[in-house]
Amino acid sequence: MTQEPHASGRSWSTWASFVVVFFVAAAALLGFVVLPIVQGQSAGLSAFAAICRSLGLQAGSPAARQPSSETAAQPVSMVAWTPQVIERLHHPNAERGKDIAGSICASCHGENGVSLGPQFPHMSGQSAFAIYKQLHDFKNGARVNEIMAAIVQDLDDEQMADVAAHFSALTKGALDPRTISSGDPDIVRLVEYGNSARGIPSCASCHGAHAGGPIETPTLAGQRQEYLLAQLDAFASGTRHNDIFNRMRGIAAKLQPGEMEKLAEYYSAVRLFRSQD
Amino acid sequence: MKSLERLTLAHFWVAFAAFAIACFFGVWQMWARSPLPAPFVTPDHYFLSVTGHGVAMAFVLTTFFVMGFGYFVAEAALERPLPGKFFAWIGYALALIGAGLATVAIWAGRASVLYTFYPPLTASPLFYIGLVLVVVGSWVWGVLMLVATGQWKRANPGRPVPLAMFGTAANAVLWLWTTVGVAVEILFIVLPASLGWIHTVDVGLTRTLFSWTLHPIVYFWLFPAYIAFYTMAPHAAGGRLYSDTLGRLSFILLIIYSVPVGFHHLLMDPQESTGFKFLQMFLTLLVTIPTFLTVFTIAASFEIAGRLRGGRGLFGWIPALPWERPMVLATGFSFVMLFFGGGGGLVNMAYGLNALVHNTSWVTAHFHLIFGGAVVIMYFAIAYEIWPKLTDREPISARLQRRQLWLWFLGMMVMSLPWHWLGLQGQWRRVAQFDYSNPIIAGWGPWVVVSLTGGLLLLASALLFIWNLISVRSSFRSHPVSTLAPYRFALAVHPPARVPEALNGFGLWNALLVFLMAATYGWPIAQQAFFLDAPHAVVHRVDRGG
Repeated sequence: MTQEPHASGRSWSTWASFVVVFFVAAAALLGFVVLPIVQGQSAGLSAFAAICRSLGLQAGSPAARQPSSETAAQPVSMVAWTPQVIERLHHPNAERGKDIAGSICASCHGENGVSLGPQFPHMSGQSAFAIYKQLHDFKNGARVNEIMAAIVQDLDDEQMADVAAHFSALTKGALDPRTISSGDPDIVRLVEYGNSARGIPSCASCHGAHAGGPIETPTLAGQRQEYLLAQLDAFASGTRHNDIFNRMRGIAAKLQPGEMEKLAEYYSAVRLFRSQD
Repeated sequence: MKSLERLTLAHFWVAFAAFAIACFFGVWQMWARSPLPAPFVTPDHYFLSVTGHGVAMAFVLTTFFVMGFGYFVAEAALERPLPGKFFAWIGYALALIGAGLATVAIWAGRASVLYTFYPPLTASPLFYIGLVLVVVGSWVWGVLMLVATGQWKRANPGRPVPLAMFGTAANAVLWLWTTVGVAVEILFIVLPASLGWIHTVDVGLTRTLFSWTLHPIVYFWLFPAYIAFYTMAPHAAGGRLYSDTLGRLSFILLIIYSVPVGFHHLLMDPQESTGFKFLQMFLTLLVTIPTFLTVFTIAASFEIAGRLRGGRGLFGWIPALPWERPMVLATGFSFVMLFFGGGGGLVNMAYGLNALVHNTSWVTAHFHLIFGGAVVIMYFAIAYEIWPKLTDREPISARLQRRQLWLWFLGMMVMSLPWHWLGLQGQWRRVAQFDYSNPIIAGWGPWVVVSLTGGLLLLASALLFIWNLISVRSSFRSHPVSTLAPYRFALAVHPPARVPEALNGFGLWNALLVFLMAATYGWPIAQQAFFLDAPHAVVHRVDRGG
């Protein structure tokens, strides 16, 4: 090999490295120093704070004040989906869940989660997350119900998770509500598409078979008609208020007369396949 | 048929079959979103379809095409047998099985998470396992490309690697870098969540890792088009390549400035700080350099060809070009779509302007123009160009090929430009339908129908493309052309006798890319993975029902 390619190779390495490093340095100077300081001045930030923000060492944008509030947030629900809670719901103490269900819950909600009266919701077919959330809310008062509040007072978080998981395990599968063969087309449309003119999202976007709603979203298919109607009423009037971000209160209040009844009828008409029906 | 041709054709047929099927999905999706009544419309079906369309187009068409084309180039450009053909078939089988598994998961409605995943949504494990197999199969290809190049270099010390193979090896290097991000995301976060081993994920971290892959993967798809620009189009035009060196430089710049720039997909995300977003946006701008170099070099090469054919004056060489040849025509169309797609891309990547178009149809228009347009039309041209060589048969009709390219070009423009326009009006993407009873949205309706018309042209073009390929094979079966000369790539005006080692290998550039990745991704990933205690999101299993 002659001398020339070596020299040429070396100068390529040097120059290429220089150019690449130069562009990174120029971008870093602008992005981490110049722009944060200039923008931070108009936002009333010190140069140090602005640079720390641009590096991600402090939260927030160097170009804006952080919105702040002196008021402590008032949670509508105290449930936190921590990994511990989720783990417990996935791996409950099945024996204890069954015991609690049999001794406390069965007199109203049925031994198999099929309720004994129209005012009591079915537990069978419900997700463990949904049941846990409601038990937790009854206990700390986020959802008000005298009977339930008294019953859950003696249950700790793990026991609530166990019994929630017990009921959810009783169902073999939930039917998609769209399998219903007949129904008021306006109601079916509300369920599947919502009504954007009234700002109502579709029910199925959270309560559907493959929906992307919050994890605690309850299954509505096959639920007691009277119970569903009572809950929609309670959300609309605000007497039930354990829905985060006002979701269901906002929706229920926008429903027109007659729609609640038809929605309750629609969802209750979908039969669930229960393990011991 | 010789073994290499069989290998390449096996890859191409998977690619083009997935492509043709995905075109039907695409048209239906536009129909579903239009004011016209469409069949089967539910949000579930829509997102299933979007996932299928995206996976088929972005993972199956591209990966199989790039692999098949790479194998072809390795033999045709290096003029020696491909090493490790057995492993190439293993890679093909892995990728094919993977694509099959993912397809099953999607069709079963258990993987409607779109092809970019969106954790904490999780699909059936089959979907991710399938995609991992596709990637592993493509890794086999990447290693074989580097081995083939290395063996050739050892056998030809001091000689420059032929440009077509240098580009292919560059793409292999790029692909190995590119897939690290998504591999970490899938293997350590998404797949364990899908299998139920973990129940919460750090969404910010997964998005950061995916962004590592999301931008350079597009350049992986684009490389065959660039290789065709440099090493096929000038020859097809009847001229020579203006500069071999600029080709090498462009390929290298595409590697080092496509990977450390993924944050420009996350400019509206909260998990990265402004400084790192700015840094990556700045480096994104440098990706325009190889694009401009390429447009300049190919335009210069075409000018040489046009003048050789008697073109006179400032622009007289343009009509003098042999536009009747599919490769030349496709290159022209590709540049027009590159202009619109690239311009739209510059808007997307600009920190301030991004806020105006983020999550609107503007972005959909951008990636359809740049990938579906500028890149895929070159896939067609490459297929037409090497099909006689692969099948040992003369092409049936250049007229039908030209007609197909025209249909694709017009269809893509008619489909995508209304999306750009609607994006500016705020039309959002990733939604199943629009409520046209809303007066603000009602005005979008006619433009959506225009887009749908473009989609129908594209579908017609896709079917004509398949017909053009099939008809070669069937109607000329009795007249094989066994005397075809070996494929000739374009020669440079000054063919390089020797090039600096920096332009003949990737050692220096890999080292610089390590530096660039450390500077751009090092701290943001380390901070999110180890220092920040960001709240995790609960895994949402789309395959289990809600």
